[in-house]
Amino acid sequence: MPPSDTPPLVELRDVTKAYAEGDTVREVLSGVQLSLHRGEFVVLLGRSGSGKSTLLNLISGIDVPTRGEVRVDGRNLGSLSERERTLLRRERVGFIFQAFNLLPTLTVEENVRLPLELNGHGAAESGAKARALLERVGLRERARSFPDRLSGGEQQRVAVARALAHAPPLLLADEPTGNLDEATGRQVLDLLEGLTRQGNACALVVTHEPALVSRADRVLSMEGGRLVEREHARREAR
Amino acid sequence: MRRLLVRSSLRHLGGHPWLTALSLLGIALGVAVVVSIDLASGSALRAFERSTDAVAGRATHQVVGGSSGLDERVYRDLRLRRDAPVSAPVVEGHVQAAVGDRRTLTVLGVDPFAEAPFRDYAKGEAVGDVGALLTEPGTVLLSARAAQSLGITSGGELPVRVEGVEKRLRVAGLLTPSDEDTARAVEALVLTDVSTAQEVLGQVGRLTRVDLRIRDEAEAQRLQAALPTGTELVRASARAGTVEQMTRAFRTNLTALSLLALVVGMFLIYNTMTFSVVQRRGLLGRLRAVGITRGELFALVLGEAAVLGAVGTVAGLLLGVLLARGLVGLVTQTFNDLYFVVSVRALALEPFTLAKGLVLGLGATLVAALVPAWEAARSAPVTTMRRSTLEDVSRSRAPRLAVLGLVVLAAGTGMLTWPTQALLPAYGGLFSVLLGSALLVPWVTERLSSVAALPLGSTFGLLGRMAARSVRTSLSRTAVALAALMVAVATTVGVGLMVSSFRGTVVSWLDTSLQADVFISPPSLVARRGGATLVPGLEERLRSTPGVAASSTLRVASARVDGVPTDLLAIDFTRTQARPYRFKEGNPETVWRELESSPDALLVSEPFSFHRRVRVGDTVRLTTDRGPHDFRVVGVYFDYGSDVGTMLMPRTTYERWFDDRGVSGVALYAAPGQDVDALVASVRERAGDSQALLVRANRSLRQASLEVFDRTFTITQVLRLLAIGVAFVGVLSALMSLQLERARELAVLRATGLTPGQLWGLVSLQTGLLGLLAGLFSVPLGMALAYVLVHVINQRSFGWTLRLAVSPETLVQAVLLALVASALAGLYPAWKMARANPALALREE
Repeated sequence: MPPSDTPPLVELRDVTKAYAEGDTVREVLSGVQLSLHRGEFVVLLGRSGSGKSTLLNLISGIDVPTRGEVRVDGRNLGSLSERERTLLRRERVGFIFQAFNLLPTLTVEENVRLPLELNGHGAAESGAKARALLERVGLRERARSFPDRLSGGEQQRVAVARALAHAPPLLLADEPTGNLDEATGRQVLDLLEGLTRQGNACALVVTHEPALVSRADRVLSMEGGRLVEREHARREAR
Repeated sequence: MRRLLVRSSLRHLGGHPWLTALSLLGIALGVAVVVSIDLASGSALRAFERSTDAVAGRATHQVVGGSSGLDERVYRDLRLRRDAPVSAPVVEGHVQAAVGDRRTLTVLGVDPFAEAPFRDYAKGEAVGDVGALLTEPGTVLLSARAAQSLGITSGGELPVRVEGVEKRLRVAGLLTPSDEDTARAVEALVLTDVSTAQEVLGQVGRLTRVDLRIRDEAEAQRLQAALPTGTELVRASARAGTVEQMTRAFRTNLTALSLLALVVGMFLIYNTMTFSVVQRRGLLGRLRAVGITRGELFALVLGEAAVLGAVGTVAGLLLGVLLARGLVGLVTQTFNDLYFVVSVRALALEPFTLAKGLVLGLGATLVAALVPAWEAARSAPVTTMRRSTLEDVSRSRAPRLAVLGLVVLAAGTGMLTWPTQALLPAYGGLFSVLLGSALLVPWVTERLSSVAALPLGSTFGLLGRMAARSVRTSLSRTAVALAALMVAVATTVGVGLMVSSFRGTVVSWLDTSLQADVFISPPSLVARRGGATLVPGLEERLRSTPGVAASSTLRVASARVDGVPTDLLAIDFTRTQARPYRFKEGNPETVWRELESSPDALLVSEPFSFHRRVRVGDTVRLTTDRGPHDFRVVGVYFDYGSDVGTMLMPRTTYERWFDDRGVSGVALYAAPGQDVDALVASVRERAGDSQALLVRANRSLRQASLEVFDRTFTITQVLRLLAIGVAFVGVLSALMSLQLERARELAVLRATGLTPGQLWGLVSLQTGLLGLLAGLFSVPLGMALAYVLVHVINQRSFGWTLRLAVSPETLVQAVLLALVASALAGLYPAWKMARANPALALREE
C-alpha cells in the first residue's frame, strides 16, 4: 500500500512533451501530473503510440520535457546536467525493456553485475550478489552463458535480475512481457512483482496486458496524451 | 565498472577477429613504412657521418683548395711558419676493391709523424709490418674486418680500380681497433702515407686538405689572412652539415611519402573505429540507458583505439625494422647514385626513430578514433530508436557534410596556392584536400547509388536493385568505408602518377641533353656525378677519331660556393655547334654569346637557382684557384641530374680560374653517314688498355641514365607498393565488415528463400558496386594528389619543374585494385553466410 504521507519518489508536474515533425508539432504528452511512492506497483496501460514509452524516458531522465517538471527523489531533473541525470539513472533506476536489451558481449552473470559495479561495488561482492539474484530467477546454472544462447523468457529474467541488482528505488519496465508467451510472461511478472515488493521499491510497468491489472496497486492509462488514473483498480479487479 | 566495460570491448574486438586483424595490419603497415624509411636513411647518414668523423678526426679546421685540392707546398709553407698551428696533410679519395664484393674503399693518405693529434688509429693497434708503410711505396694498412671479407691477409695484395685504372697495393698490416665504434668507422678505410695515396688517386703533388687544430678565432683569422690565393680555411664541422643539407630534400620527400602511408592508415583506423561504433549503436544505447555517461563511452572507444593502436604500433615497429633491413640497401644505392660514396653494413636502430614511430602510431590511431568516440558518446539512450531513423539522420547530414567538404577543399587549395616555399602549408593543404574529398563522399554516394539502381535493376532484377539500394540505405556505414577506400586508392594513384610524370620529364630532358652520338667517360663511383678523369693525352686521341664531325668535353669538378662544395661543369664547346640545354630563365639566343664572351659569366641549374635563390642577373661567389670571384648568372637551365644543383661554364672560363686540366668525359658527334656502332668500336680501339672506359652510344647512355633514375625511384616504388598493400587491406576490411555486419539481414533473406548462390550474387554485387565507386572516386582525387605532389611538394623540395603526365594505366590500375579487393572482400562473408544456419543468425542480437 502506498504510504501517501511520505514524499513521492517520482513527481511529474504539468509535464508536456512535443515533437517537431516537419512543419507540424505533435504533442505526445500534455499537462501530465503524477506522483509515485515507494512500495507501489503501478501499471500503465495505453494503445501503441499513446506516449507510454515517452513517459518512461522522461522519468528516467533519458529525455527532457518540453514544459513542466519531473522530480525523482526530490531532485528536479530539469536542473540537472546530462551527466548528472545519467548518474541519477545509474543509482536510482532499474530499466527493463520489451527487447530484453542485454549486452551481447557480456555473460549472463556479467550483465547482472554491471549495474552493481557501475555503482562502485567490488568484483567479489557484485559477483556474489549477481549469482544470488540469478539463483532467485532460476538461472544460476546459465551464469556463464552469453545472452544469445538463452530463450526469450530466460533473457527477460536476466533483464529483471539486472534491473534489480543494485536495489534501485525505482523500476521502470516497458512492456516486459511483450515478446513472451503467456506462461513465461506470468513467470517474469511474478518475479518482478515479488522482487519489487520485497525491496520496497516502486515499479512502473507499461503493458498491453489487462491481466496485469489484477496485480497493480494503481492502474494508470494514457489517453490522448493525458494520464488517467483508475482508482483502486486492484480492489475492483478482485 | 571499467573492468566489465573493457571486457565487453575486448570481446567485441575478439568477436570480429578478421576485422580486428585487418585494422591492426593497417596500423602496423603505416607505422612500419614510416619507421623503416627513417631507419634506413638514418643508417646511411650515420654510416657516412661515422666515416667522415673517422677521417676528419679531431681537426677543428681544414685548409682546402679549389676543384683539384691544394698544392702540397701550402702544407710545407704552413709548417715553416713561426706560429705554425698543429697540422697534418691529408689525401683522400675513393677506390673500388677489384676482389671480393667489389666494395668501395676510402683511401686516406696521411703523414704518420703528424697524425698523432688527429687520428688515434693511425698510430697503433695495427698488426703486421707497419714500418713498411714509410719505407716501401704502394703499401697500405687495411681494417682487419675488410681484409677478412675481401679474403686478404697481412702481407697480401689488394687490387683496386681507380677511375677505370687497376692498381695493386700491398697490405702491410691490419688495423684492429679495440672498440666497436672505431672498428665500424675504419671498416671501409685504406690507410697509407701521403705519397702512395697521391700516386693511387692520381693526385701527385696535390693534397685534398690540411687538417688543423686551432685554439681560437683570432688564430684562425691570422691564418686565413696568410693563406695563399685559391685556398680557404673552413671549419671541420661544416662538412657534416653539408651532407645533411645535400640529402635533405631527398629525405624530406621520402618522409612525406611515408607519412602519406600513415595518413592512409589513419583513414583505415577511422573506418575501423567508426564501424565498430556504428555496429554497436544498439549496445551503446543500452549502456547509456543503464547509466553509462557520455564521458565514459568516449573513454571506452578511445581506450579500444589505444589498445588497437598499441598492438598495431608494436607490430609495426617490428615490421619496420625488418623492412628497413631491406630498404637500407636501396637508400644506400640512391645515396651512392646521387650524392656521395657510402657503404652501410649494419642498420642503426635509433631509439629516437622507434620512439617517434610509437608516438606516431598511437597518436594517429587516437586522432583517427576521436570522431567515432565522439559519435559513440552522442549515442541516445533511447532504446526504441530504429535503424532507419539513424540512416535518415545520416542521409540528411550528407548535404551539410558536402558543403563542409567544399569549405575544407577551398581552405586546402588556399594553403596550396599560398605563395611560400615552406613545406608545412603544402602538407596541410594536401591533408585538407584528402579530408575535404572524404566529406563529399556521403552526398555523392547517395546520388550515384540512386542512379546505379536503374541499370543494376534492369540487368540483375530485384537483386540488382537491392544491391544499389543497400548502399544508399546504410549510408552511415557505406560512406565511411568508401571515403577510406577512396583515400587509400587515390594515394596509390597520386604517387604512381608522380613517378611516371617525373620519369616522362626526365625522358624528354634526356632527349634534349643527349645529342651527341658517342659518350666516353671513366667509371665513377657516384653514378650521376662522374667526377673521374681521363688519363692525360687520351682526350685528344679520342676526339680525333676518324668519322667524328664535332666533339665536346666535360669536366665535373667541385667548387665552393659560399663555402659549400657544389658541382661545377666545365664544357669545351669550341669544336661543336650543339648546345643541348633548355632554359628556364634567359634567352637562348643571347645566353651562349654572353657566356662565351665573358670570363666571369656562368649558368646555373634550376635546383641551384631554387635552393640558393639565385636568378639571372645575380652573382655567385666561387672560391677559385685565383681566390674568391663573383660570377654573373646569365641563364638558368633545366637539369634533372642533380637535386642539389649544378653550375656550368665554358672550359675557357674554367681554365682561366682553375688550375685543374682534367677531363671527365668526351662527347663525339658522328660525321654524316658514319655508322655509330662502328665509331664506338674504333673509339674503344683507340682508347686501348690504358684505362677502362665507358664508351656508350647515345641510346645506351640514355638507357643507363634511365636505369639510374629508376634505381633512385625504386624506394618510391616500394613505398607505392606498400601504399597499395595498405589500400588493399583497407578495401578488404571495410567491405568485409560491411557485409559481416549485415549477417542478420542476409539471414532474413536466406530464410525468405534466397539460395546460397543468389546470396553470393547479392553480396558480390554490393561489394562490387562499392569497389567500383571507390575506384571511380579515387581517380579525380588521385589526379589532384599527383598535381599537388608534382607541382607543389616536389617543386618546393627540389625546385624541379615537372610536367604532370596522366598515364591511363595508373588510373585503370586503381579501379582494378578497388574491384579486385572488393571481389575478394565479398568472398568470405558470402561463403560464411551461405553456409551459416539462418536460424542461428536470426537469433543473434
